[in-house]
Amino acid sequence: MQKVAVNRDKTAFAELFDHYAPQIRAYSLAREPGADLVADDLTQDVMSRVWLKAGTYNADLANLNTWIFTLARNCRVDYLRRNSRHISNIDPSFIFDEMEDDNPGPFQLVNQTRAEDTVRTSLQKLPFEQSDVLTKIYLEGKTHQQTSIELKLPLGTVKSRVRLALKKLQVLVAR
Amino acid sequence: MEKILTHPVDELLASFSAASLPLSQALCISSHLERCAACHQKVQRLNGLGSELMQQLKPSPASSELKERMINRLDILTQETHARPQETHVSSVPRCLQQFIQTGYDKLPWRRVSPDIHNYELCRDSNGAKVELLRIKAGGSPTTHTHMGDEYTVILEGSFSDETGLYHQGDFLVRDARHKHTPVASQDRECICLAVTEGPIQFTGFFSRLLNPFVRRSYT
Repeated sequence: MQKVAVNRDKTAFAELFDHYAPQIRAYSLAREPGADLVADDLTQDVMSRVWLKAGTYNADLANLNTWIFTLARNCRVDYLRRNSRHISNIDPSFIFDEMEDDNPGPFQLVNQTRAEDTVRTSLQKLPFEQSDVLTKIYLEGKTHQQTSIELKLPLGTVKSRVRLALKKLQVLVAR
Repeated sequence: MEKILTHPVDELLASFSAASLPLSQALCISSHLERCAACHQKVQRLNGLGSELMQQLKPSPASSELKERMINRLDILTQETHARPQETHVSSVPRCLQQFIQTGYDKLPWRRVSPDIHNYELCRDSNGAKVELLRIKAGGSPTTHTHMGDEYTVILEGSFSDETGLYHQGDFLVRDARHKHTPVASQDRECICLAVTEGPIQFTGFFSRLLNPFVRRSYT
């Protein structure tokens, strides 16, 4: 990543591409199965931002995987807005982009890497009904309400499953 | 600054981190996060969860053609590097709202709703939700009201109280149709809130949004 940011090294960028492009495509396909062109477009958008914003990436604030996730999320929400039949006048870049450019406050320097390791191992142990709800919300981009209709569950049940999952994963436990 | 007492619940923060909230609601969360370091930090952790979930997906290999196209574009990208939009310095307005408010609250064309209350509609979300600012004069109170759908409120300036408590700058509240409430602005200064109300139109928007995954979209 250093090589990309400082030396503008295209070989290093190609390595990042090899690693992340399949993930970004998978993320796009999770929301729109079969839409290969959309997945390619999203990959290009995200990797362009990686190239352009490499200098602003701050390893103290988020690990690289998390940074790429936030870029992919931001590009996807932006793409959906541009291509939606229901026009929203709200520009999501004011909501999401600004967040990452924030300087870390003194107590934001959490041990992200360790926290992520814990989440990874405990994700495997999560009951399906809880991980399923997380998948719908994070990967398929569904609201709680859409999730409740799709799974034929009361809205309250969806919310409590998310809450339970977060608790089990200890995502929000201060370390 | 008073301590922020009311925060979005964790499952709402998760939807924010996933960007799977209607943008109008995300706007409220974001206005709160700019004032609340604790919730901001939670969202950063939740982003880490999003990243883990993304990594667990079965990778979908990219074509070598896409890679080549990408690498060839890099130089053009560097040349095109667009200058960041100039920073606006309206410190009291949350940054996420500066897309609507460039010059501060006083210059907005406020509309009088009642002797005590003015509003200014910022926009409508694609689900029909109304996004507006409410300005309640010191000691003023809008009449008791209920809502059709959920109402999200973030206090931007001043403070108000209702049957349930006293709220200050940065506080985030959700009220649903069951709540009947009578907010009163504090006596010493006016109160400005960001309010998002889901209207009945939401349902049409909502059901048609369900169709979205089935509509294949592409650039072609």
